[in-house]
Amino acid sequence: MALLETEGLSKSFAGVPVLSGVDFAAEAGEVHALVGANGAGKSTFLNIVSGSLAPSAGVIRLAGAAVRFATPQQAHRAGVSIVHQEFSLAPLLDVATNVFLGREPRTRLGLVDRARMRHDAAALLDTHGFRLDPDAPVAGLSVAEQQLVEIARALSFEAQVLILDEPTAALSPPEQQRLFAVIERLKAVGVAILYVSHRLDEVFRIADRVTVLRNGIRVATRRVADLDHAGLVSLMLGEAAAAAAPPPRATPGSVRLAATYRAGEATSSIVVRAGEIVGLAGFVGAGRTHLARALAGRARSNEIEMTIDGKAVDRRSAGAALRHGVVYVTEDRKRDGLFVPLGVLANTTAGALDRVSRFGLLQAGREQKLGGDMLARLRLAAPSLAAPVNHLSGGNQQKAVFARALLAEPRVLICDEPTRGVDVGAKAQIHDLLVELAGRGLAVLVVSSEFAELLAVADRILVMRDRAVVAAFARGTVDEPTLFRAASGDPAVLAAARPGLPP
Amino acid sequence: MMAASVTRRAVAGPPILWVAALLLALAAALLPGFFSPDNLANVARQSAVLALLAIGQTFVVVAGLMDLSVGMLATLVLVLAADLMDGRAEATLAAVGLAVALGAGIGALTGVLNNALRINSLILTLGMLTILQGVTFIYTDQSLGAPSPAITWLANGELFGLPPSFLLVLVATGLAHVALHHTRFGVHLAAVGGAVQSARQAGIAVDHVVLVAFVISGLSAGLAGLLLLGRLGTGYPNAGVGLELDAIVAVVLGGTALAGGRGSVVASVAAAVVLGMVSNMLNLLEVSSFLQMVIKGGVVIVVILIGQIRPEVAR
Repeated sequence: MALLETEGLSKSFAGVPVLSGVDFAAEAGEVHALVGANGAGKSTFLNIVSGSLAPSAGVIRLAGAAVRFATPQQAHRAGVSIVHQEFSLAPLLDVATNVFLGREPRTRLGLVDRARMRHDAAALLDTHGFRLDPDAPVAGLSVAEQQLVEIARALSFEAQVLILDEPTAALSPPEQQRLFAVIERLKAVGVAILYVSHRLDEVFRIADRVTVLRNGIRVATRRVADLDHAGLVSLMLGEAAAAAAPPPRATPGSVRLAATYRAGEATSSIVVRAGEIVGLAGFVGAGRTHLARALAGRARSNEIEMTIDGKAVDRRSAGAALRHGVVYVTEDRKRDGLFVPLGVLANTTAGALDRVSRFGLLQAGREQKLGGDMLARLRLAAPSLAAPVNHLSGGNQQKAVFARALLAEPRVLICDEPTRGVDVGAKAQIHDLLVELAGRGLAVLVVSSEFAELLAVADRILVMRDRAVVAAFARGTVDEPTLFRAASGDPAVLAAARPGLPP
Repeated sequence: MMAASVTRRAVAGPPILWVAALLLALAAALLPGFFSPDNLANVARQSAVLALLAIGQTFVVVAGLMDLSVGMLATLVLVLAADLMDGRAEATLAAVGLAVALGAGIGALTGVLNNALRINSLILTLGMLTILQGVTFIYTDQSLGAPSPAITWLANGELFGLPPSFLLVLVATGLAHVALHHTRFGVHLAAVGGAVQSARQAGIAVDHVVLVAFVISGLSAGLAGLLLLGRLGTGYPNAGVGLELDAIVAVVLGGTALAGGRGSVVASVAAAVVLGMVSNMLNLLEVSSFLQMVIKGGVVIVVILIGQIRPEVAR
């Protein structure tokens, strides 16, 4: 008998079906992946089984008994817990308090029994091998540790079903490995794990079975062993949309960006030619984003000297970098990419208002023409140009960020995690865009945690470790395992791939 | 153990303690009269009203909110209680009942409005402040009534050689400390102030917690009103003007984050006492009250500045 089961689960919003008759079953001790492109209905499904949404029709069964969760707390108590991408922790409280928040044990006097809370938390953390200090304030923990607090919180409800929504999105590869170890242990004690991820390699790595949703319909449930990557992608996307072979590249032109980066003892040089895509690989903490932001004048850094087309860039500020044509696309669009309450068009033209103004007054028609054309070119789908940008899907939000970057007429485009939180289709479009831009003579630097992404788009890949470039590979001379080994400091690989590769 | 870990930064961290030490050293050097028992008792009496307000305000600020209505709420209580007692001893109990009921009642009203209307608490309580001020002036535009002897004694007298108002503040501080750090309510309040969505996810009844915080704030304002009446000796309808800002200043000087999520009642009370010390010392130095305002403002800015610099140095 399945532990968690749904039958005919359906949900409509304002008459529009987003989930139609989904049958699903997860066994105890199984890692069951749930995949689908954005808009496939994954979030709706998760929200229903975890008690945040009521289904329009259908049944949920837990260990054979029909259940109905009116709130997430009811689901928790029944043993169904979800760990969202965005954590729900109280940052200034400590680990133990967070684990038991809302259910603090009390002494006979009715006061919070901190000693017991701490003891229970320590025992729970210990049982599952989480190395966390129950007294540590959550705000001081790394993202991976905060995630463990969330998982510990779920386990404190005696979770039978643990739902992990994009759990590795913010983790470095070693942290991911540790999370996988945690998942293996939970699986061994009979927890059913519902694993949702855009990263299909992880699905193949840890899942037993996979259920594919497309347009709110369950397309397939398969054993992972019976599938390959290409097969899974075609199930997700429907019609044949599997990755094509990377298109041939034009030969890069003259040196566009040349920089020397000093951090501590190490000195690294970075060269990007016109028409070239250079990838910057490495694990979290390797200093990729720091370097990218320094190049774009965004980090206060006297560690860097750089020239654009042979001209030195003296002033280090975002404005100065922009005037030299260096445009940065942030890794965190919600923080410093988008103007969140504003509409799509306003977000797009925000950096190019001079071009749509006359005598200091904005010309609405010119703004719509300039911004609208760019959005159309990027195939951004929005209900209207005025639609609030935060109402769009991740992929369309990222296109809005790119649209503004391109309106700044870049000569050097620096993209940090250009496809983070973006569905498969939009990801391919963004990759195509990068290649197209390079083809038109732009120098492109791409920072990515996904080695596969860099392998797909980059002409050269630089690997960073401890804030220095430690290896360089030309297109076609490297594969994913090699990149992984270089980034994790395997001496054999590093010796063979010194970064002084001829530019 | 755990309580210490949650509150350690709030209690040991605030630069208000350094300021206090510095002031005491200055006082020792310049003002021999400062350490006389009479003067220390004076400092305690002068600080008591603000200390009570700061205790209540701490709860609201930990929830990430603000209560600007407390100065005028205290004034309304003061005027009504003065008129009610008019110096009569037998009316003391009624006046205390009035202070508690009106304080908690208005606090509850503010809390309910905050939850129902979802207006920024700063604006909502500013509105409440104005309404309460209007009501006070409709009731009377000049001083009226007088405290009963018991209230006068509470504010100005002596008990075991100590000012009774000081003992009241100590008891209130102890109760508030337990409520903030050792009850579910206190833990939930900090969770609400730190991350309201997370608190909701954890099943915390956010509205209920916020309502209780406003009730505590109103209650402390009611008691502060009585105490202030005892100090002034008459129901003066401008008595509490600006007290709400002093209370917020004391809370912030005490190291409670204005954004909410953590705080310490003990530190807020300590800050209120330090503010009282500053006034007292400046009085002893015969500094004009207008210059005193300038100096106090400067002290506030400097202390907050130190508080902002410190965490980054530590990092």
